[in-house]
Amino acid sequence: MEFVKKLQESIEKHADHNVLCISNTLYTYKDFAVEVSKIRKAIVDTTVVSDKLIGLVTNDDLQTYASIIALWLEGKAYVPVNPDTPVERNTKIFELTETKYVIDSSKASVYNDHNVIASHSIPETEINLEPKTISGDQLAYILFTSGTTGLPKGVPITFDNVAGLVDAIEAEPEFNLVPSDRCLQMFELTFDFSVVTYLFPLLAGSCMYTIPKGAIKYFYVFKLINEQKLTVLTMVPSIINYLRPYFPEINAPDVRYCSFGGGALHSDIAKEWSNCLPNCKIFNYYGPTEFTVYSGFYPYHKDTHQKAHNGIIAIGVPQKNTLYLVVDENNQEVPVGVTGELCLGGPQITPGYWKNEERNAQSFFTRNENGKEVRYYKTGDLCFKDSAGDYLYVGRADFQVKIRGYRVELAEIEFHAKSKSDKKVNMVALDIINNLGNAELGLVIESEEFDTTKIFEHMKAKMPSYMIPMHVRFVKEFPHSINGKINRKELKTYFDIN
Amino acid sequence: MNREEILSKVKEAFVSVLEHDNFQLANETTADDVDGWESITHMMIITEVEKTFNIKFKLMDLMNMNNVGDLLNTIESEL
Repeated sequence: MEFVKKLQESIEKHADHNVLCISNTLYTYKDFAVEVSKIRKAIVDTTVVSDKLIGLVTNDDLQTYASIIALWLEGKAYVPVNPDTPVERNTKIFELTETKYVIDSSKASVYNDHNVIASHSIPETEINLEPKTISGDQLAYILFTSGTTGLPKGVPITFDNVAGLVDAIEAEPEFNLVPSDRCLQMFELTFDFSVVTYLFPLLAGSCMYTIPKGAIKYFYVFKLINEQKLTVLTMVPSIINYLRPYFPEINAPDVRYCSFGGGALHSDIAKEWSNCLPNCKIFNYYGPTEFTVYSGFYPYHKDTHQKAHNGIIAIGVPQKNTLYLVVDENNQEVPVGVTGELCLGGPQITPGYWKNEERNAQSFFTRNENGKEVRYYKTGDLCFKDSAGDYLYVGRADFQVKIRGYRVELAEIEFHAKSKSDKKVNMVALDIINNLGNAELGLVIESEEFDTTKIFEHMKAKMPSYMIPMHVRFVKEFPHSINGKINRKELKTYFDIN
Repeated sequence: MNREEILSKVKEAFVSVLEHDNFQLANETTADDVDGWESITHMMIITEVEKTFNIKFKLMDLMNMNNVGDLLNTIESEL
Protein backbone atom coordinates (compact mmCIF):
# COMPACT_ATOMS: atom_id res chain seq x y z
CA MET A 1 0.00 0.00 0.00
CA GLU A 2 1.76 3.10 -1.29
CA PHE A 3 0.52 5.64 1.23
CA VAL A 4 1.50 3.43 4.19
CA LYS A 5 4.97 3.10 2.67
CA LYS A 6 5.07 6.88 2.32
CA LEU A 7 4.16 7.23 5.99
CA GLN A 8 7.11 5.05 6.90
CA GLU A 9 9.44 7.10 4.69
CA SER A 10 8.21 10.39 6.13
CA ILE A 11 8.54 9.26 9.76
CA GLU A 12 12.09 8.04 9.10
CA LYS A 13 13.14 11.04 7.04
CA HIS A 14 11.88 13.65 9.53
CA ALA A 15 13.23 11.96 12.68
CA ASP A 16 14.46 15.22 14.24
CA HIS A 17 11.33 17.22 13.35
CA ASN A 18 8.43 17.67 15.73
CA VAL A 19 5.38 15.53 15.03
CA LEU A 20 2.96 16.53 17.78
CA CYS A 21 2.47 19.24 20.34
CA ILE A 22 0.14 18.03 23.07
CA SER A 23 -0.58 20.25 26.10
CA ASN A 24 2.60 22.26 25.42
CA THR A 25 4.82 19.16 25.16
CA LEU A 26 6.59 18.60 21.85
CA TYR A 27 7.34 15.13 20.48
CA THR A 28 9.65 14.33 17.56
CA TYR A 29 9.14 11.91 14.71
CA LYS A 30 11.82 9.82 16.38
CA ASP A 31 9.71 9.65 19.57
CA PHE A 32 6.78 8.76 17.36
CA ALA A 33 8.70 5.97 15.60
CA VAL A 34 9.62 4.50 19.00
CA GLU A 35 5.98 4.49 20.16
CA VAL A 36 4.69 3.09 16.85
CA SER A 37 7.23 0.25 17.01
CA LYS A 38 6.42 -0.60 20.63
CA ILE A 39 2.69 -0.67 20.05
CA ARG A 40 3.16 -2.60 16.83
CA LYS A 41 5.13 -5.26 18.66
CA ALA A 42 2.41 -5.49 21.31
CA ILE A 43 -0.22 -5.88 18.58
CA VAL A 44 1.76 -8.66 16.91
CA ASP A 45 2.40 -10.41 20.25
CA THR A 46 -1.19 -10.13 21.47
CA THR A 47 -3.53 -10.49 18.51
CA VAL A 48 -3.76 -13.07 15.76
CA VAL A 49 -3.46 -12.19 12.09
CA SER A 50 -7.17 -12.76 11.48
CA ASP A 51 -8.14 -10.10 14.06
CA LYS A 52 -8.40 -7.18 11.71
CA LEU A 53 -10.53 -4.74 13.70
CA ILE A 54 -8.89 -3.34 16.81
CA GLY A 55 -10.54 -0.93 19.22
CA LEU A 56 -8.79 2.34 20.02
CA VAL A 57 -9.62 4.63 22.93
CA THR A 58 -9.01 8.13 21.59
CA ASN A 59 -7.05 9.88 24.28
CA ASP A 60 -5.13 13.04 23.49
CA ASP A 61 -1.63 11.57 23.63
CA LEU A 62 1.29 10.31 21.55
CA GLN A 63 0.34 6.65 22.05
CA THR A 64 -3.10 7.07 20.55
CA TYR A 65 -1.76 8.60 17.32
CA ALA A 66 1.05 6.04 17.20
CA SER A 67 -1.52 3.24 17.56
CA ILE A 68 -3.23 4.21 14.29
CA ILE A 69 0.04 3.97 12.37
CA ALA A 70 1.06 0.77 14.18
CA LEU A 71 -2.23 -0.84 13.16
CA TRP A 72 -1.87 0.29 9.56
CA LEU A 73 1.68 -1.09 9.30
CA GLU A 74 0.14 -4.41 10.34
CA GLY A 75 -2.73 -4.07 7.85
CA LYS A 76 -5.31 -3.70 10.61
CA ALA A 77 -8.15 -1.23 11.12
CA TYR A 78 -8.82 1.01 14.10
CA VAL A 79 -12.27 1.22 15.62
CA PRO A 80 -12.07 4.46 17.61
CA VAL A 81 -14.17 5.19 20.69
CA ASN A 82 -14.20 8.46 22.58
CA PRO A 83 -13.39 8.07 26.30
CA ASP A 84 -15.95 10.81 27.09
CA THR A 85 -18.78 8.93 25.39
CA PRO A 86 -20.90 6.62 27.58
CA VAL A 87 -19.09 3.31 27.91
CA GLU A 88 -22.31 1.50 27.03
CA ARG A 89 -22.35 3.07 23.57
CA ASN A 90 -18.66 2.31 23.04
CA THR A 91 -19.10 -1.29 24.12
CA LYS A 92 -21.99 -1.54 21.66
CA ILE A 93 -19.63 -0.42 18.90
CA PHE A 94 -17.15 -3.15 19.84
CA GLU A 95 -19.99 -5.64 19.93
CA LEU A 96 -21.23 -4.62 16.47
CA THR A 97 -17.72 -4.92 15.00
CA GLU A 98 -16.86 -8.05 17.04
CA THR A 99 -13.79 -6.22 18.29
CA LYS A 100 -11.95 -8.34 20.86
CA TYR A 101 -8.84 -6.20 21.38
CA VAL A 102 -8.73 -2.61 22.55
CA ILE A 103 -5.67 -0.36 22.56
CA ASP A 104 -6.09 1.97 25.51
CA SER A 105 -3.56 4.50 26.83
CA SER A 106 -5.78 5.42 29.81
CA LYS A 107 -4.30 4.91 33.27
CA ALA A 108 -7.06 2.45 34.08
CA SER A 109 -9.07 0.95 31.26
CA VAL A 110 -12.83 0.48 31.54
CA TYR A 111 -12.79 -2.19 28.81
CA ASN A 112 -11.82 -5.09 30.99
CA ASP A 113 -14.26 -7.39 29.23
CA HIS A 114 -11.94 -7.06 26.24
CA ASN A 115 -8.26 -7.82 25.76
CA VAL A 116 -6.71 -4.47 26.56
CA ILE A 117 -3.35 -3.44 25.12
CA ALA A 118 -2.21 -0.82 27.64
CA SER A 119 -0.21 1.35 25.26
CA HIS A 120 1.37 3.60 27.91
CA SER A 121 3.41 0.80 29.46
CA ILE A 122 4.92 -1.28 26.66
CA PRO A 123 8.64 -2.06 26.93
CA GLU A 124 11.16 -0.56 24.51
CA THR A 125 11.79 -2.43 21.31
CA GLU A 126 13.67 -2.00 18.04
CA ILE A 127 12.25 0.50 15.58
CA ASN A 128 10.35 -1.27 12.83
CA LEU A 129 8.25 0.78 10.45
CA GLU A 130 8.34 -1.58 7.47
CA PRO A 131 4.70 -2.09 6.42
CA LYS A 132 3.29 -5.54 5.81
CA THR A 133 1.78 -6.31 2.44
CA ILE A 134 -1.74 -4.95 2.63
CA SER A 135 -4.55 -5.70 0.25
CA GLY A 136 -6.53 -2.62 -0.76
CA ASP A 137 -9.91 -4.03 0.23
CA GLN A 138 -8.81 -4.48 3.85
CA LEU A 139 -10.26 -1.97 6.28
CA ALA A 140 -8.23 1.00 7.57
CA TYR A 141 -10.87 2.26 10.03
CA ILE A 142 -14.55 2.13 10.94
CA LEU A 143 -16.28 5.22 12.24
CA PHE A 144 -19.71 5.26 13.83
CA THR A 145 -22.15 8.06 13.22
CA SER A 146 -25.58 8.75 14.63
CA GLY A 147 -28.23 6.27 13.41
CA THR A 148 -32.03 6.56 13.24
CA THR A 149 -32.91 3.49 15.29
CA GLY A 150 -30.98 4.34 18.43
CA LEU A 151 -28.05 2.25 17.22
CA PRO A 152 -24.96 3.99 15.86
CA LYS A 153 -24.22 3.37 12.17
CA GLY A 154 -20.80 2.03 11.13
CA VAL A 155 -18.93 3.37 8.12
CA PRO A 156 -16.01 1.11 7.14
CA ILE A 157 -13.21 2.69 5.09
CA THR A 158 -10.68 0.54 3.21
CA PHE A 159 -6.99 1.12 2.55
CA ASP A 160 -7.93 1.69 -1.11
CA ASN A 161 -10.40 4.38 0.01
CA VAL A 162 -7.68 6.19 1.99
CA ALA A 163 -5.24 5.75 -0.92
CA GLY A 164 -7.83 7.43 -3.16
CA LEU A 165 -8.00 10.38 -0.77
CA VAL A 166 -4.21 10.73 -0.60
CA ASP A 167 -3.95 10.48 -4.37
CA ALA A 168 -6.57 13.20 -4.89
CA ILE A 169 -5.05 15.64 -2.39
CA GLU A 170 -1.54 15.09 -3.74
CA ALA A 171 -2.83 15.89 -7.22
CA GLU A 172 -4.07 19.28 -5.98
CA PRO A 173 -1.43 21.92 -6.82
CA GLU A 174 -2.98 24.54 -4.52
CA PHE A 175 -2.39 22.56 -1.32
CA ASN A 176 1.11 21.39 -0.35
CA LEU A 177 2.20 20.87 3.23
CA VAL A 178 5.91 21.21 4.07
CA PRO A 179 7.92 19.95 7.09
CA SER A 180 8.00 23.43 8.65
CA ASP A 181 4.19 23.65 8.77
CA ARG A 182 2.44 23.82 12.13
CA CYS A 183 -1.03 22.34 11.73
CA LEU A 184 -4.12 22.50 13.90
CA GLN A 185 -5.51 19.07 14.84
CA MET A 186 -8.62 19.99 16.78
CA PHE A 187 -10.75 16.95 16.01
CA GLU A 188 -11.67 14.02 18.13
CA LEU A 189 -10.33 10.88 16.42
CA THR A 190 -13.83 9.38 16.24
CA PHE A 191 -14.74 12.23 13.87
CA ASP A 192 -13.82 11.52 10.24
CA PHE A 193 -12.43 15.01 9.64
CA SER A 194 -9.52 14.02 11.93
CA VAL A 195 -8.19 11.68 9.23
CA VAL A 196 -7.04 14.60 7.08
CA THR A 197 -5.68 16.54 10.07
CA TYR A 198 -3.30 13.76 11.13
CA LEU A 199 -2.63 11.96 7.84
CA PHE A 200 -1.47 14.92 5.72
CA PRO A 201 0.86 16.43 8.36
CA LEU A 202 2.40 12.96 8.92
CA LEU A 203 2.95 12.44 5.20
CA ALA A 204 4.64 15.85 4.93
CA GLY A 205 6.71 15.70 8.12
CA SER A 206 4.77 18.66 9.62
CA CYS A 207 3.82 19.15 13.26
CA MET A 208 0.27 18.80 14.64
CA TYR A 209 -1.08 20.81 17.57
CA THR A 210 -3.93 19.21 19.48
CA ILE A 211 -6.59 20.64 21.80
CA PRO A 212 -6.39 19.18 25.34
CA LYS A 213 -9.57 17.51 26.54
CA GLY A 214 -11.43 19.88 28.82
CA ALA A 215 -10.00 23.03 27.23
CA ILE A 216 -12.43 25.62 25.90
CA LYS A 217 -11.64 24.74 22.32
CA TYR A 218 -12.60 28.04 20.68
CA PHE A 219 -10.14 29.99 22.80
CA TYR A 220 -7.52 27.27 22.73
CA VAL A 221 -7.56 27.33 18.92
CA PHE A 222 -6.90 31.06 19.07
CA LYS A 223 -4.19 30.56 21.70
CA LEU A 224 -2.42 28.10 19.37
CA ILE A 225 -2.75 30.42 16.38
CA ASN A 226 -1.44 33.30 18.44
CA GLU A 227 1.32 31.68 20.50
CA GLN A 228 2.46 28.77 18.33
CA LYS A 229 2.04 30.67 15.04
CA LEU A 230 0.11 27.90 13.34
CA THR A 231 0.37 27.87 9.55
CA VAL A 232 -2.37 25.40 8.60
CA LEU A 233 -5.90 25.38 10.01
CA THR A 234 -8.56 22.77 9.39
CA MET A 235 -11.83 23.47 11.11
CA VAL A 236 -15.60 23.27 11.13
CA PRO A 237 -17.40 26.57 10.51
CA SER A 238 -18.88 26.64 14.02
CA ILE A 239 -15.42 27.48 15.40
CA ILE A 240 -15.31 30.81 13.63
CA ASN A 241 -18.99 31.44 14.33
CA TYR A 242 -18.14 31.42 18.04
CA LEU A 243 -14.95 33.44 17.59
CA ARG A 244 -16.73 36.01 15.44
CA PRO A 245 -17.30 38.60 18.21
CA TYR A 246 -13.50 38.71 18.64
CA PHE A 247 -12.44 38.92 14.97
CA PRO A 248 -11.21 42.54 15.33
CA GLU A 249 -8.59 41.22 17.78
CA ILE A 250 -7.33 38.46 15.46
CA ASN A 251 -4.55 39.00 12.97
CA ALA A 252 -2.71 35.83 11.98
CA PRO A 253 -0.28 36.50 9.12
CA ASP A 254 1.46 33.11 9.53
CA VAL A 255 -1.57 31.07 8.52
CA ARG A 256 -1.20 29.99 4.88
CA TYR A 257 -4.04 27.48 4.52
CA CYS A 258 -7.42 27.35 6.19
CA SER A 259 -9.69 24.46 5.22
CA PHE A 260 -13.33 24.26 6.23
CA GLY A 261 -15.57 21.24 6.15
CA GLY A 262 -18.29 19.45 8.04
CA GLY A 263 -20.94 22.13 7.66
CA ALA A 264 -22.18 25.06 5.65
CA LEU A 265 -19.73 27.97 5.40
CA HIS A 266 -21.56 31.29 5.18
CA SER A 267 -20.19 34.00 2.92
CA ASP A 268 -20.50 36.93 5.33
CA ILE A 269 -18.44 35.25 8.05
CA ALA A 270 -15.96 33.78 5.54
CA LYS A 271 -15.21 37.31 4.34
CA GLU A 272 -14.68 38.63 7.87
CA TRP A 273 -12.55 35.62 8.79
CA SER A 274 -10.40 35.99 5.71
CA ASN A 275 -9.60 39.55 6.89
CA CYS A 276 -8.05 37.98 10.03
CA LEU A 277 -5.77 35.80 7.86
CA PRO A 278 -4.11 38.18 5.41
CA ASN A 279 -1.77 35.59 3.80
CA CYS A 280 -4.09 32.63 3.67
CA LYS A 281 -5.76 30.49 1.03
CA ILE A 282 -9.22 29.35 2.14
CA PHE A 283 -10.65 26.03 0.96
CA ASN A 284 -14.30 25.16 1.42
CA TYR A 285 -14.21 21.36 1.45
CA TYR A 286 -17.15 19.06 1.02
CA GLY A 287 -17.36 15.35 1.71
CA PRO A 288 -19.21 12.82 3.88
CA THR A 289 -17.71 10.10 6.12
CA GLU A 290 -18.96 7.56 3.56
CA PHE A 291 -16.62 9.04 0.94
CA THR A 292 -13.42 9.16 3.02
CA VAL A 293 -13.55 12.73 4.33
CA TYR A 294 -13.14 14.98 1.29
CA SER A 295 -14.68 14.73 -2.17
CA GLY A 296 -13.89 18.22 -3.46
CA PHE A 297 -13.55 21.90 -2.59
CA TYR A 298 -14.21 25.44 -3.63
CA PRO A 299 -11.25 27.85 -3.41
CA TYR A 300 -12.79 30.80 -1.58
CA HIS A 301 -11.32 34.26 -1.98
CA LYS A 302 -13.01 37.34 -0.57
CA ASP A 303 -12.42 39.36 -3.74
CA THR A 304 -12.23 36.87 -6.60
CA HIS A 305 -14.07 33.67 -5.54
CA GLN A 306 -17.20 34.29 -3.48
CA LYS A 307 -19.72 32.12 -5.29
CA ALA A 308 -22.59 31.32 -2.95
CA HIS A 309 -26.25 30.27 -2.84
CA ASN A 310 -28.52 31.66 -0.10
CA GLY A 311 -25.38 32.96 1.59
CA ILE A 312 -23.69 29.52 1.68
CA ILE A 313 -20.33 29.28 -0.10
CA ALA A 314 -20.18 26.93 -3.10
CA ILE A 315 -18.68 23.47 -2.63
CA GLY A 316 -16.87 23.73 -5.96
CA VAL A 317 -15.92 20.79 -8.14
CA PRO A 318 -15.12 17.12 -7.46
CA GLN A 319 -11.47 16.25 -6.84
CA LYS A 320 -9.37 13.80 -8.89
CA ASN A 321 -11.18 10.54 -9.81
CA THR A 322 -14.37 11.63 -7.98
CA LEU A 323 -17.71 11.84 -9.77
CA TYR A 324 -20.57 14.11 -8.73
CA LEU A 325 -24.10 13.36 -9.89
CA VAL A 326 -27.23 15.30 -8.96
CA VAL A 327 -30.36 13.15 -9.10
CA ASP A 328 -34.13 13.30 -8.62
CA GLU A 329 -36.08 10.92 -6.38
CA ASN A 330 -35.78 8.15 -9.02
CA ASN A 331 -31.97 8.46 -9.10
CA GLN A 332 -32.17 10.06 -12.55
CA GLU A 333 -29.71 12.85 -13.31
CA VAL A 334 -31.26 16.34 -13.33
CA PRO A 335 -30.18 19.16 -15.69
CA VAL A 336 -27.71 21.91 -14.80
CA GLY A 337 -29.30 24.48 -12.47
CA VAL A 338 -31.90 22.04 -11.08
CA THR A 339 -31.69 21.06 -7.41
CA GLY A 340 -31.48 17.38 -6.54
CA GLU A 341 -29.67 15.01 -4.21
CA LEU A 342 -25.89 14.98 -4.61
CA CYS A 343 -24.41 11.50 -5.19
CA LEU A 344 -20.72 10.61 -5.16
CA GLY A 345 -18.84 7.95 -7.08
CA GLY A 346 -15.17 6.97 -7.26
CA PRO A 347 -12.34 5.22 -5.39
CA GLN A 348 -13.14 6.81 -2.02
CA ILE A 349 -16.65 5.33 -1.68
CA THR A 350 -17.15 3.06 1.37
CA PRO A 351 -17.94 -0.60 0.67
CA GLY A 352 -21.21 0.06 2.56
CA TYR A 353 -22.59 0.49 6.07
CA TRP A 354 -21.42 -2.13 8.52
CA LYS A 355 -23.86 -5.06 8.50
CA ASN A 356 -26.80 -2.94 7.44
CA GLU A 357 -28.19 -4.28 4.17
CA GLU A 358 -31.42 -2.35 4.50
CA ARG A 359 -29.63 0.97 4.80
CA ASN A 360 -27.21 0.06 2.03
CA ALA A 361 -30.08 -0.63 -0.35
CA GLN A 362 -31.35 2.91 0.31
CA SER A 363 -28.08 4.79 0.25
CA PHE A 364 -26.16 3.26 -2.66
CA PHE A 365 -27.05 2.54 -6.28
CA THR A 366 -25.19 1.66 -9.45
CA ARG A 367 -25.55 3.31 -12.80
CA ASN A 368 -24.31 2.36 -16.22
CA GLU A 369 -21.95 4.99 -17.61
CA ASN A 370 -20.26 4.36 -20.98
CA GLY A 371 -20.64 0.61 -20.57
CA LYS A 372 -19.26 0.60 -17.01
CA GLU A 373 -21.18 0.10 -13.77
CA VAL A 374 -20.48 3.04 -11.45
CA ARG A 375 -21.50 2.82 -7.80
CA TYR A 376 -22.84 5.97 -6.15
CA TYR A 377 -23.48 7.04 -2.57
CA LYS A 378 -26.51 9.22 -1.92
CA THR A 379 -25.35 11.97 0.43
CA GLY A 380 -28.74 13.29 1.57
CA ASP A 381 -27.48 16.77 0.64
CA LEU A 382 -29.44 18.87 -1.80
CA CYS A 383 -27.28 20.62 -4.38
CA PHE A 384 -27.28 21.98 -7.91
CA LYS A 385 -24.60 22.46 -10.51
CA ASP A 386 -24.24 25.89 -12.11
CA SER A 387 -23.35 26.62 -15.73
CA ALA A 388 -19.66 27.10 -14.81
CA GLY A 389 -19.55 23.55 -13.40
CA ASP A 390 -19.47 24.50 -9.70
CA TYR A 391 -21.74 22.72 -7.25
CA LEU A 392 -23.78 24.73 -4.77
CA TYR A 393 -25.20 23.50 -1.50
CA VAL A 394 -28.91 24.00 -0.83
CA GLY A 395 -29.72 22.01 2.35
CA ARG A 396 -30.36 18.60 3.87
CA ALA A 397 -32.88 16.24 2.31
CA ASP A 398 -33.83 14.54 5.59
CA PHE A 399 -33.85 15.02 9.33
CA GLN A 400 -30.15 14.73 9.75
CA VAL A 401 -28.57 17.91 11.11
CA LYS A 402 -25.06 19.09 11.86
CA ILE A 403 -24.22 20.04 15.41
CA ARG A 404 -20.72 21.49 15.75
CA GLY A 405 -19.65 19.48 12.72
CA TYR A 406 -21.10 16.21 13.99
CA ARG A 407 -23.88 14.58 12.04
CA VAL A 408 -26.87 13.97 14.21
CA GLU A 409 -30.04 12.08 13.36
CA LEU A 410 -32.83 13.89 15.17
CA ALA A 411 -34.69 10.58 15.24
CA GLU A 412 -31.99 9.04 17.44
CA ILE A 413 -32.39 11.79 20.04
CA GLU A 414 -36.17 11.40 19.97
CA PHE A 415 -35.79 7.65 20.33
CA HIS A 416 -33.69 7.92 23.50
CA ALA A 417 -35.72 10.80 24.93
CA LYS A 418 -38.94 8.83 24.64
CA SER A 419 -37.60 5.43 25.63
CA LYS A 420 -37.25 6.12 29.37
CA SER A 421 -40.03 8.66 29.79
CA ASP A 422 -42.79 7.72 32.24
CA LYS A 423 -45.14 9.90 30.27
CA LYS A 424 -45.81 8.55 26.81
CA VAL A 425 -45.95 11.81 25.00
CA ASN A 426 -44.77 13.13 21.69
CA MET A 427 -41.26 14.55 21.62
CA VAL A 428 -39.53 16.25 18.77
CA ALA A 429 -35.84 17.14 18.53
CA LEU A 430 -35.02 20.23 16.51
CA ASP A 431 -32.01 22.14 15.39
CA ILE A 432 -32.33 25.79 16.31
CA ILE A 433 -30.01 28.44 14.97
CA ASN A 434 -28.64 30.76 17.65
CA ASN A 435 -27.65 34.38 17.11
CA LEU A 436 -24.12 33.36 16.11
CA GLY A 437 -25.49 31.21 13.30
CA ASN A 438 -24.74 27.89 15.03
CA ALA A 439 -27.19 25.04 15.35
CA GLU A 440 -28.15 24.00 18.88
CA LEU A 441 -30.44 21.15 19.80
CA GLY A 442 -33.85 21.68 21.29
CA LEU A 443 -36.40 19.17 22.54
CA VAL A 444 -40.12 19.95 22.39
CA ILE A 445 -42.45 17.83 24.50
CA GLU A 446 -46.18 17.72 23.81
CA SER A 447 -47.38 17.93 27.39
CA GLU A 448 -47.93 20.05 30.46
CA GLU A 449 -44.61 20.79 32.11
CA PHE A 450 -43.02 17.90 34.03
CA ASP A 451 -39.63 17.00 35.49
CA THR A 452 -37.27 15.81 32.73
CA THR A 453 -34.31 14.89 34.95
CA LYS A 454 -34.72 11.16 34.35
CA ILE A 455 -35.06 11.58 30.59
CA PHE A 456 -31.87 13.63 30.47
CA GLU A 457 -29.96 11.22 32.67
CA HIS A 458 -30.94 8.45 30.29
CA MET A 459 -29.95 10.45 27.21
CA LYS A 460 -26.58 11.32 28.79
CA ALA A 461 -25.96 7.63 29.42
CA LYS A 462 -26.78 6.74 25.84
CA MET A 463 -25.42 9.53 23.67
CA PRO A 464 -22.34 11.74 23.38
CA SER A 465 -22.68 15.23 24.84
CA TYR A 466 -23.12 17.02 21.52
CA MET A 467 -26.36 15.04 21.02
CA ILE A 468 -27.95 16.15 24.29
CA PRO A 469 -30.58 18.89 23.73
CA MET A 470 -29.65 22.17 25.40
CA HIS A 471 -33.14 23.62 25.46
CA VAL A 472 -36.49 22.10 26.43
CA ARG A 473 -39.95 23.48 25.76
CA PHE A 474 -43.37 22.10 26.61
CA VAL A 475 -46.14 22.64 24.12
CA LYS A 476 -49.71 21.56 24.94
CA GLU A 477 -50.53 20.65 21.37
CA PHE A 478 -48.12 20.33 18.46
CA PRO A 479 -48.92 22.36 15.36
CA HIS A 480 -49.44 20.27 12.22
CA SER A 481 -49.06 21.03 8.54
CA ILE A 482 -51.84 20.52 6.02
CA ASN A 483 -50.71 16.99 5.22
CA GLY A 484 -50.87 16.03 8.89
CA LYS A 485 -47.15 16.08 9.64
CA ILE A 486 -45.85 17.78 12.77
CA ASN A 487 -44.93 21.29 11.76
CA ARG A 488 -41.30 21.36 12.83
CA LYS A 489 -40.74 24.78 11.37
CA GLU A 490 -43.41 26.30 13.62
CA LEU A 491 -42.15 24.37 16.64
CA LYS A 492 -38.78 26.04 16.17
CA THR A 493 -40.42 29.41 16.84
CA TYR A 494 -41.08 28.31 20.44
CA PHE A 495 -37.36 28.58 21.09
CA ASP A 496 -36.42 32.16 21.70
CA ILE A 497 -32.82 31.47 22.62
CA ASN A 498 -31.14 34.63 21.45
CA MET B 1 -19.54 45.99 43.28
CA ASN B 2 -17.65 43.65 45.61
CA ARG B 3 -16.41 40.22 44.68
CA GLU B 4 -19.28 38.47 46.40
CA GLU B 5 -21.83 40.44 44.43
CA ILE B 6 -19.96 39.71 41.23
CA LEU B 7 -19.87 36.01 42.06
CA SER B 8 -23.59 35.93 42.75
CA LYS B 9 -24.36 37.56 39.38
CA VAL B 10 -21.94 35.19 37.66
CA LYS B 11 -23.74 32.26 39.24
CA GLU B 12 -27.04 33.58 37.85
CA ALA B 13 -25.47 33.63 34.37
CA PHE B 14 -24.31 30.01 34.78
CA VAL B 15 -27.76 28.90 35.94
CA SER B 16 -29.52 30.60 33.05
CA VAL B 17 -27.21 28.96 30.47
CA LEU B 18 -26.84 25.52 32.06
CA GLU B 19 -30.53 25.37 33.09
CA HIS B 20 -29.67 23.85 36.49
CA ASP B 21 -28.17 25.11 39.77
CA ASN B 22 -26.61 21.94 41.02
CA PHE B 23 -23.11 23.39 41.52
CA GLN B 24 -20.96 25.67 43.70
CA LEU B 25 -18.70 28.31 42.23
CA ALA B 26 -15.41 29.15 43.93
CA ASN B 27 -12.15 30.65 42.65
CA GLU B 28 -10.65 27.29 41.82
CA THR B 29 -13.78 25.85 40.14
CA THR B 30 -13.14 24.73 36.53
CA ALA B 31 -15.30 23.35 33.73
CA ASP B 32 -14.54 19.83 34.99
CA ASP B 33 -16.44 20.53 38.23
CA VAL B 34 -19.74 21.70 36.76
CA ASP B 35 -22.13 19.48 34.85
CA GLY B 36 -22.72 20.87 31.37
CA TRP B 37 -19.94 23.48 31.46
CA GLU B 38 -17.93 22.78 28.31
CA SER B 39 -16.72 24.62 25.21
CA ILE B 40 -20.10 25.54 23.82
CA THR B 41 -21.85 26.50 27.06
CA HIS B 42 -18.73 28.43 28.06
CA MET B 43 -19.23 30.69 25.06
CA MET B 44 -22.87 31.22 26.05
CA ILE B 45 -21.89 31.93 29.67
CA ILE B 46 -19.33 34.50 28.50
CA THR B 47 -21.98 36.25 26.39
CA GLU B 48 -24.40 36.18 29.33
CA VAL B 49 -21.79 37.62 31.72
CA GLU B 50 -20.93 40.36 29.23
CA LYS B 51 -24.62 41.30 29.04
CA THR B 52 -25.08 41.23 32.83
CA PHE B 53 -22.14 43.51 33.58
CA ASN B 54 -22.36 45.47 30.36
CA ILE B 55 -18.71 44.77 29.58
CA LYS B 56 -16.84 43.28 26.63
CA PHE B 57 -14.06 40.79 27.28
CA LYS B 58 -10.85 40.82 25.28
CA LEU B 59 -9.87 37.66 23.45
CA MET B 60 -6.48 37.77 25.16
CA ASP B 61 -8.17 37.59 28.59
CA LEU B 62 -10.56 34.84 27.54
CA MET B 63 -7.69 32.82 26.11
CA ASN B 64 -6.00 32.56 29.51
CA MET B 65 -9.09 32.10 31.65
CA ASN B 66 -8.74 28.77 33.42
CA ASN B 67 -11.15 28.91 36.34
CA VAL B 68 -13.89 30.95 37.98
CA GLY B 69 -11.28 33.03 39.86
CA ASP B 70 -9.77 34.16 36.52
CA LEU B 71 -13.25 35.05 35.32
CA LEU B 72 -13.98 37.13 38.43
CA ASN B 73 -10.60 38.91 38.18
CA THR B 74 -11.25 39.83 34.58
CA ILE B 75 -14.73 41.13 35.40
CA GLU B 76 -13.29 43.20 38.25
CA SER B 77 -10.67 44.70 35.97
CA GLU B 78 -13.35 45.64 33.40
CA LEU B 79 -15.74 47.30 35.88
